Amino acid sequence: MPNGEIIVDQLVKRYGNFAAVNGVSFQVHEGEIFGFLGPNGAGKSTTVTMLTTLALPTAGRATVGGYDIVTEAGAVRQIAGVALQEIGLDPLMKSTELLTIQGQLFGMSRRQAQERGAELLKLVKLDDVTERPVGKYSGGMRRRLDLAMALVHRPNILFLDEPTTGLDPASRRDVWTEVRRLNREYRMTIFLTTQYLEEADELADRVAIIDRGNIKVEGQPNELKAALGGESINVTFKDSDAVELAKTELGGMFDKIQVDRKTLRLYRNGAAQIVPSVMSRLNEQQLEPISLTLTTPTLDDVFLQVTGQRFDVEESETVEVSSINARRIRNN
Amino acid sequence: MTTLTQSQTPIAAETSAPSVNRMPFLLQVSTMTWRTLITNIRVPAVVLPPLIISVFFLFIYEASLSGAARFFLAGQSYLGFILPLSVISASLSGAGVAGQSIVRDISTGYFDKLLLTPVSRGALILGPMIAGAILLAFQTLVVLGVALLMGLNPVTGVPGLLAVIGFSLLLGTGFSGFNVGLALRSGSAAATQSGGFIFFPLSFLTATFVPLDLLDGWIKVAATYNPITYILEAMRAILNTGWDTEIVLRGLSSCVGLGIVMFAFALWSLRGRTARK
Repeated sequence: MPNGEIIVDQLVKRYGNFAAVNGVSFQVHEGEIFGFLGPNGAGKSTTVTMLTTLALPTAGRATVGGYDIVTEAGAVRQIAGVALQEIGLDPLMKSTELLTIQGQLFGMSRRQAQERGAELLKLVKLDDVTERPVGKYSGGMRRRLDLAMALVHRPNILFLDEPTTGLDPASRRDVWTEVRRLNREYRMTIFLTTQYLEEADELADRVAIIDRGNIKVEGQPNELKAALGGESINVTFKDSDAVELAKTELGGMFDKIQVDRKTLRLYRNGAAQIVPSVMSRLNEQQLEPISLTLTTPTLDDVFLQVTGQRFDVEESETVEVSSINARRIRNN
Repeated sequence: MTTLTQSQTPIAAETSAPSVNRMPFLLQVSTMTWRTLITNIRVPAVVLPPLIISVFFLFIYEASLSGAARFFLAGQSYLGFILPLSVISASLSGAGVAGQSIVRDISTGYFDKLLLTPVSRGALILGPMIAGAILLAFQTLVVLGVALLMGLNPVTGVPGLLAVIGFSLLLGTGFSGFNVGLALRSGSAAATQSGGFIFFPLSFLTATFVPLDLLDGWIKVAATYNPITYILEAMRAILNTGWDTEIVLRGLSSCVGLGIVMFAFALWSLRGRTARK
């Protein structure tokens, strides 16, 4: 009896001596959006290829919808919809042809497959371009058609491997809307890999962060961020000596301090209120920061916390406050 | 389990067990064949050059050698003698269609998409092979038409022409199988194309321009062991001298033998490509 759960237990994938996935375990509950987050090369896609039966694990076990990915691969394919990172569409064919073949291969009659195709093209808003070969579609359109292909056989569980990589912001938001809708309206379990922290934060009920083949942390985005202990003040200096000096000077005022190259991250609840004190302490020691930012914790901070390195600086949701602005805060 | 809005049918599964409906194997093969056919017809650049090349060779051979042929063909038509070579060249150059279709599927990722469906692995290779053969048979039909316009008068009449098309279908399926095998092994268009040239010498290390009896030395040895020789002889006999059962059967078995070896290679390559690792 299929369900919407994914249970992964100590899954390993080795290529020679290299462990692309090194003993990952996690559980995805029925009807949730699960974000599998990690930088490029972390092992996300390798995990997806194993869970979707394209590759065999070297060790470990996993079930998708209650079916073993090794011994019941056929059943897994019947209940799982898959949109891989590489969009698998023949550019010379039309959307209707691709969807009809896909439906027929899943056992529908030609007519049923055509009807299903038409219904899905409407769903992904591609019903007005059915005469155009797929090769002439934009990236966003191809992504949406790929999503429709994954839905043809009415899967219980949908695997989306980096569904918005390479898309412009508007198309990315379209995909998000669609993912939310599928999850909300059809209670579909969605396993989503992404390298965008913002995407995981926006969409996922729960996330697991994977880095170099290992899961570093798993939980609800809000819980993970809250566990970091509130806001942080990030002060960047010209050199590391200044960072060390500042660390000694400010150590007592914060719950936790982290050094990230030339930036000092200072964590405590209500950090915003003590920005003036921080500035005056630094002034006393004649330490001139290059910049001072106030950050509410993001998944990027969670990533930094668990891996010791930054995920992707551009993705962090920092509130830039220059030292001048910081003085302004003090004056207010 | 599904929440529905008024006008929508369910997107998620409603049944409690995975549907075990599978498309019948023959229907899978015909669907895959149809798909390869329509995609290739949409790229005339793939289909036209082999056709033009075979017609071109037919003109050149006929124009340059038909006079000399009087000495060894004892009154038989040189056109009927050389036409089978054109058919074989067409089979060789056109067989790439099947391989290139697979390469395209692998490079676009559509092949993986198909592997995620319950499609039979056999249908995945048979489809392109049969489509390749159909395109070749069409090509042969055109070459035969041109030959008829040039004055070909087969002694076996229409059945003979149909037999020649049959040979080209069989040979085409075989060569397509080899190309499909190369495509599955390499996943690369260039490797598939250059791999196909291995067979190019086969069509020349044979009784290409004169009958086997008139060859001498190493080329005679090579031609004697080359199955293409017997396929050529069978088609030549059909067009010029009549139904010689022994010659036709020898040609047919060479054709089938070659086809079986090629299909085995394609199957073996498919196993290598689709085995979950």
